[in-house]
Amino acid sequence: MDKENIKSELIKLLGKEKVMGNDLDLMYYSYDSSFLTKLNPAAPFAVLFPKSTDDVQVIMRFAYENDINVIPRGAGTGETGGCIAVEGGIVLDLSTWDEIVEIDASNMQVIVRPGVIHADLNDQLAGYNLFFPPDPGSSKMCTIGGMVANNASGLRAVKYGCTEQYILGLEIVTPQGDIIYTGGMKAKCIKNVSGLNINKLMIGSEGVLGVITRIRLRCWPKPKAKGIAMAVFDQLDDAPATVLDIYQDGLLPSGIEILDSSAIKAVNEFKPDIHLPEAEAILLFEVDGNPPSVQYEGERIKEIAGKRARTVEWATDEKRMLELWEGRSITATAAARVRPDGSRIFAGEDISVPLSKVADTLRAIRALGKKYNVQVVNYGHIGDGNVHTAPVINPEIPEEVERVLKLADEIHLLAIEMEGTTTGEHGVGAVRRCYAELEHGKAHEYMKQTKAAFDPKGIMNPGKLI
Amino acid sequence: MEFKDVPPVKEQLMKCVRCGKCRSVCPVFTEIRNETAAPRGHVFMVQMLKEGKVDPVPEVYERLANCLMCETCSVNCPSGIDIHELNAAARSYIYENNPSIAKEMVFDTLWTHPGLLKTSTTFMWGVQKAGLQKLGRATGLTKILPGDLSKAERILEQVPLRSAKSILKENNPSKGEKKYTVGYFLGCGTDLLNPEVAKATVDVLTRNGCEVIIPKSMKCCGLPHIANGKMDTARKLAAHNVKIFNAYNFDYIITDCASCSAALSHKNMEFLLGGLKIEDEAFAFSDKVMDLNKFLIDILDIDLIDNKNTEPFKVTFHDPCHLANAQGIKAEPRELLNRIPGANLIEMNEANRCCGGSGTYSMTHYDLSMKILDRKMDNAMATGADVLATCCPSCMMQLRHGANRHNWHVKIQHPIELISDHYSKTPALKK
Repeated sequence: MDKENIKSELIKLLGKEKVMGNDLDLMYYSYDSSFLTKLNPAAPFAVLFPKSTDDVQVIMRFAYENDINVIPRGAGTGETGGCIAVEGGIVLDLSTWDEIVEIDASNMQVIVRPGVIHADLNDQLAGYNLFFPPDPGSSKMCTIGGMVANNASGLRAVKYGCTEQYILGLEIVTPQGDIIYTGGMKAKCIKNVSGLNINKLMIGSEGVLGVITRIRLRCWPKPKAKGIAMAVFDQLDDAPATVLDIYQDGLLPSGIEILDSSAIKAVNEFKPDIHLPEAEAILLFEVDGNPPSVQYEGERIKEIAGKRARTVEWATDEKRMLELWEGRSITATAAARVRPDGSRIFAGEDISVPLSKVADTLRAIRALGKKYNVQVVNYGHIGDGNVHTAPVINPEIPEEVERVLKLADEIHLLAIEMEGTTTGEHGVGAVRRCYAELEHGKAHEYMKQTKAAFDPKGIMNPGKLI
Repeated sequence: MEFKDVPPVKEQLMKCVRCGKCRSVCPVFTEIRNETAAPRGHVFMVQMLKEGKVDPVPEVYERLANCLMCETCSVNCPSGIDIHELNAAARSYIYENNPSIAKEMVFDTLWTHPGLLKTSTTFMWGVQKAGLQKLGRATGLTKILPGDLSKAERILEQVPLRSAKSILKENNPSKGEKKYTVGYFLGCGTDLLNPEVAKATVDVLTRNGCEVIIPKSMKCCGLPHIANGKMDTARKLAAHNVKIFNAYNFDYIITDCASCSAALSHKNMEFLLGGLKIEDEAFAFSDKVMDLNKFLIDILDIDLIDNKNTEPFKVTFHDPCHLANAQGIKAEPRELLNRIPGANLIEMNEANRCCGGSGTYSMTHYDLSMKILDRKMDNAMATGADVLATCCPSCMMQLRHGANRHNWHVKIQHPIELISDHYSKTPALKK
């Protein structure tokens, strides 16, 4: 069946308003936030806007019968090309299917469709004194469906973990068009060890096993108080050592962030008014909970960090907390603006390494930046060893592009060498797939077989993850 | 200049990392919800134009023009990209490759000749006065208007007969000791649709030690031209106005219109005239330009004496995009309203969200514009205000239409009208 016939058939099946087929319009679906698609955008030959599980089932049955690739897409904020038709196919734009089906406050659960925006969900939950804890930086635009597909997290993962810890159950439409329910999608229980855990398998599967159409999430009570501590270090090694000291004291902050000297410089250049102290590293601790415990933990952090840090400040009033946190909150922006004729690149941006190797990793990345003559800014979630590197280049100069791609490759290999992984929270997609065999060895074969069991024709989001 | 060398295209385009932050703030995207309406989508399409992967054809223009130019994306962009400038540059590039006689008539002939523009509004007044507009609607004749105009003609209600320029004198001496000589940039919207605002502006400024001069040969600020792909005409208009105002020795150049002050700002002069011979003159001009609200607070520090007979009223304020986003002016109009005796300022939700008017957008994209307007009206009505204040003629026109749509009996006024009203009841003491 040729592309025009496919579009005509899809219009017959779904109605005109749910099918986009104009070539110019389709170009807008050729990119996400990855450097890969900035260099090589790839347009699908149709974009569909399903609004029900039936719609998705109809689409999958049609696609399976006609051997058409299907690529699920949320808000397209990913950094891996995960929602792009790199091998051709039709894209399912699920971002407009954004119904909050049920807020079950008495069981602290919520059921949503995949297109609900993370921040919008938490706005709704706030009315029940609840929240969905994973907190990606893209909270205001990313969808819950995308978060589940990528097992997303954010700076509070150190205490609250990743998306997977909150997914009680899923409704999935399989490549053949079957509708299956995983975990506790049809139950309201919190504990559930019945059957093979397909639920967990689906989380972070990046759309290669099926389409997520409904999600049951567990929510947590909103903490009542918060405090921020900032510790300034003259020696890079003292920063991760302090994090370990804090853990060993039995403390679990909700976030522990690091800015290394490159990030401090970038922030000060972008916004000199912030006056971040010049240092080898700055750690920012966020503590949340009940007021007395927050105060106790804050005081302990100040005392413990003070043993290695040049200075430590602890604040609980809103204004000062915002000031202390501003350095961290603008780091990504500052990195983007560190070079007037440059752009921050999302490549090699999400490695995760053991806490004991964070300092060595940061030093090695700086050295790689020098080796390839690429300015790099390093920051990240040191509490769980997740380092965000922001190379800054002029992407219109091919020679710079070549150098930054080599740099990104070496950063990924460095992560594996450091007994870490190429991605802590952004995912594999098309850009890190080449490291799958190296990272997983024999297990990679089992991953392929698992994929084949769900998707024997290989139509679900091909060219990604495994 | 080739398209690829236009400054924002050359310097800013490559900075977009498609993070999608703009999706979360764009009023048009909120309604349409597909990537063709996302600001990053517009940036992407500009890149495709630059790289020659798409041709500069009307179909691309149509997509790029589905944008309010409200600059919300630009002020929220983590990479600091002036997305609206990229979009404007691309529209201009496409227009140059696809000139249209209709657009030339509107933007090159009508909108560059204030006399002709005035004649057309007088004609409109006559049509409305004779009841022909209502008759046209009743008989269905308005349906033959092209595109969305068949619906959008409703926005143009109550066009006044006399323009501000025909009412006001060119020279308006200060009442009392003169402090400043002020050039009043009287924009088309205020001149033709809101002469009461212009009268109030002159009244308040002259009461506060300003000699106000209204150069009669000024022309449109050029913002409608930028938004409609007529960049060359916008440049000519800007250069004309620079020459006209620089011929005087003004201390300040004041305008009550948010769009005009944005169009005359240093940043926009750089966009239009940067690198040209006239650049220095343009900057000398734009450095004197100031929004009226800011002038009244920062320079005149206006003081309004309470009149014991003052009746309290509730007022809410809508931030024009070209004031809040383009110029970062948010506090001053509020401070001004708070200084008016009797005024009780109630903040509406999303006060800084576009009303959907955006100059000509409501004429070309009526249905979508109404969806954006309805959200604004819901927020405004929830305040229970007696007065909905704003300082942009396009917003005022749109909000009046919104009040009619929702049967809300509210006064839509510029803050300067409220101040002038106050003076008319209780003359202020001279400072």
